[in-house]
Amino acid sequence: MGDKVRSLKSALDIVSDGSHIALGGFAITRCVMPAVHELVRSRRRRLTVSQTIGGLDTDVLVAGGCVSRLIYAGGSLDRFGPLYAVSHAISHDEIETEEYSSLAMTLRFHAEALNLPFIACRSLLGSDMVEPLIEAGTARIEPDPFSGRPTLLLTPLRPEVAILHVDACDADGNAMLAGPTWTTRETAFASAHTVLICEEVVESIPPERALIPGLVVNAVVELPGAAHPTAVAGSYDYDRAHLEEYADLARRGAEGLREYLDRHVLAAAV
Amino acid sequence: MGGWSGGEIMAVAASHLVADDDVVLVGIGLPQVAAALAQRTHAPNARLLLELGVFDPQPAGESMGIADPRMWTDSKAYAGMLEVLGYMLQGGRISLGLLGALQVDQFGSINSSLVVEADGRRRRFRGSGGGNDVASAAGRVLVVVRHEPRKFKAAVDFVTSPGRRIRGAGRAELGLEGGGTSALVTDRAVIQIGDAGAVLAAVHPGEDAEQVVGETPMPLTLPPGGPAVSAVPTQVELNLIRGSLDPLGWYTR
Repeated sequence: MGDKVRSLKSALDIVSDGSHIALGGFAITRCVMPAVHELVRSRRRRLTVSQTIGGLDTDVLVAGGCVSRLIYAGGSLDRFGPLYAVSHAISHDEIETEEYSSLAMTLRFHAEALNLPFIACRSLLGSDMVEPLIEAGTARIEPDPFSGRPTLLLTPLRPEVAILHVDACDADGNAMLAGPTWTTRETAFASAHTVLICEEVVESIPPERALIPGLVVNAVVELPGAAHPTAVAGSYDYDRAHLEEYADLARRGAEGLREYLDRHVLAAAV
Repeated sequence: MGGWSGGEIMAVAASHLVADDDVVLVGIGLPQVAAALAQRTHAPNARLLLELGVFDPQPAGESMGIADPRMWTDSKAYAGMLEVLGYMLQGGRISLGLLGALQVDQFGSINSSLVVEADGRRRRFRGSGGGNDVASAAGRVLVVVRHEPRKFKAAVDFVTSPGRRIRGAGRAELGLEGGGTSALVTDRAVIQIGDAGAVLAAVHPGEDAEQVVGETPMPLTLPPGGPAVSAVPTQVELNLIRGSLDPLGWYTR
């Protein structure tokens, strides 16, 4: 069993300007904040970010000017508000987006994990999301070869580096987490390189609890409290005061977002 | 009229449309309160699911959204989106979807992506999440939306989630399997959606049908014999909403 435990900096060396990364957070839960802060501080640029549901992680990364393309199914900060930086960047033409439904994102990761040339999906038909995706070359509507009915086909989605939060893993990256898993596992299997940010590195985990096998993990970073100020089921709650501070600043636009980065990202040293 | 807020009567009226044998995929916002209310009153056997991979929770109040672990309280199984949106929803096992909307139209299509402002600027909103998946595949869909004129359109600015007809095309023609939107529940009325369009099925207590139609900027017809009047929220329902399902009034006040 390999020892894949790394420092955050060393684990993120693989991300360079123009990389395609995947983030595993969902709105206000399991966002990999220290990794996002590190990417902002090291001034990574022109990243493509794939994420099923965008959350605080993606919003801060966009606020930091690191992202040029976002592939997602939308997102929010739940009742704390919309993805402020993402909305701002879209309306100022600072980032491009490819928008899907949650299932379409899930199936694109799933198709890549299976090395399929494409995958059929019964969503998106009739919606205004389809046309831009056909133009982007990631979706087509074709007759089902068996029944002849219109079928939506999606290309697989392969991020270069996935950065995912888990509760605990061993030094090889066999990982477990509490609560629902949305697309955490599919993202790990679909990505060329997977970095786990874990609350705790343990000697071993019960094999039946292993959501992600260490075989598909390349690096493990132990950072207790890593998802703060977002929640981790069974471990800690979201930090209401912090999220309200973010929303209050972000609502003010670019200048407020810069103030947030100054206070909580650029000032902090790891 | 009445000792309740618009949000409260919306939650109550939507909950009345949840059946005891429904398997419900619950979207973010007021649908969370409506689904939990149904479960605590007339539909104790209704099963709730959340797109993250949550099966059959008994949600606690004060949750900030579907990503708040409070919403997952007492779940019977955890999995992921492949299981909930794939195996359960696309697999045809979800009888009812409960969704919110930024904008809706006469055929029940939902816009949750963007609005075009008067000056032509596009303002972004939450986006689909699992909403498009629910509208595509659930047996029927209830859309819970505030009765504000800007929220109703003859045709939405952007179709995030398809209703019964989209630009003249029917669901079967488009390849959609689920039944599509069956009703819009607002703080003034229940609007039934069918392949022929929108019908004012019921108005809430104290509302005038003609006035509601006049203040709903989309084609909306009256049923033969006129609309029904929705049930008055009971004290039990209001106590549940205020005491445990939405004690801070985030969704209903």
